[in-house]
Amino acid sequence: MADPQLKEKVEELIAANPVLLFMKGTPDAPRCGFSMRVVQVLEAINVDYGAIDVLPALQPLREVTTEIADWQTFPQLYVNGELLGGCDIVEEMFDSGELAEALGVEQPAEAPQPAPAAPSGPPQQSPPLQIE
Amino acid sequence: MAADLAELKAMIEAALPDAEAEVSDETGTGDHLLAVVRAPQFDGLSRIDQHRLVKAAVKERFDDGTIHALSVKTEVAG
Repeated sequence: MADPQLKEKVEELIAANPVLLFMKGTPDAPRCGFSMRVVQVLEAINVDYGAIDVLPALQPLREVTTEIADWQTFPQLYVNGELLGGCDIVEEMFDSGELAEALGVEQPAEAPQPAPAAPSGPPQQSPPLQIE
Repeated sequence: MAADLAELKAMIEAALPDAEAEVSDETGTGDHLLAVVRAPQFDGLSRIDQHRLVKAAVKERFDDGTIHALSVKTEVAG
């Protein structure tokens, strides 16, 4: 059973962030290839999002997401309070244009580029959120 | 214990009658698998709910540690 305080905190974060990514590592330094691929999609689609590094509390957070979304694996992308999916679903929905639609943004003309050498402009994501 | 691809296919098809599942081993290590599933039950469901149905069908093999990662691709069967 998930820690009730952590669960409440996670629910608050999901409610407060229209686009929220639970990932391994941070957008600047992903620690898992699947998390990195979701970050690349979000960067390509140019949307503001919050990111939470699950690694410091992996098992407790797994218990929480199992209870709130019936999903155990990370990354997990929440949009408007609902779990949209992990890497497979996010990439599939990006390719089909459904992700842009769900996020209410324009589908970019180009596919996501792996690790751009010189990022143009300021980063789009908000600073990583901390879970105490 | 290595994953039994035929068993996983059978588990998915038993949980979702009239579905067609193909389960393959993406890395050759037996624990990172890909399931491609076409099922009439997916009609009207969000992708996450389609994936939940597939993962629920093979939950036992996640729980006992046989598989660690299962990529899922879903299609609504016509």
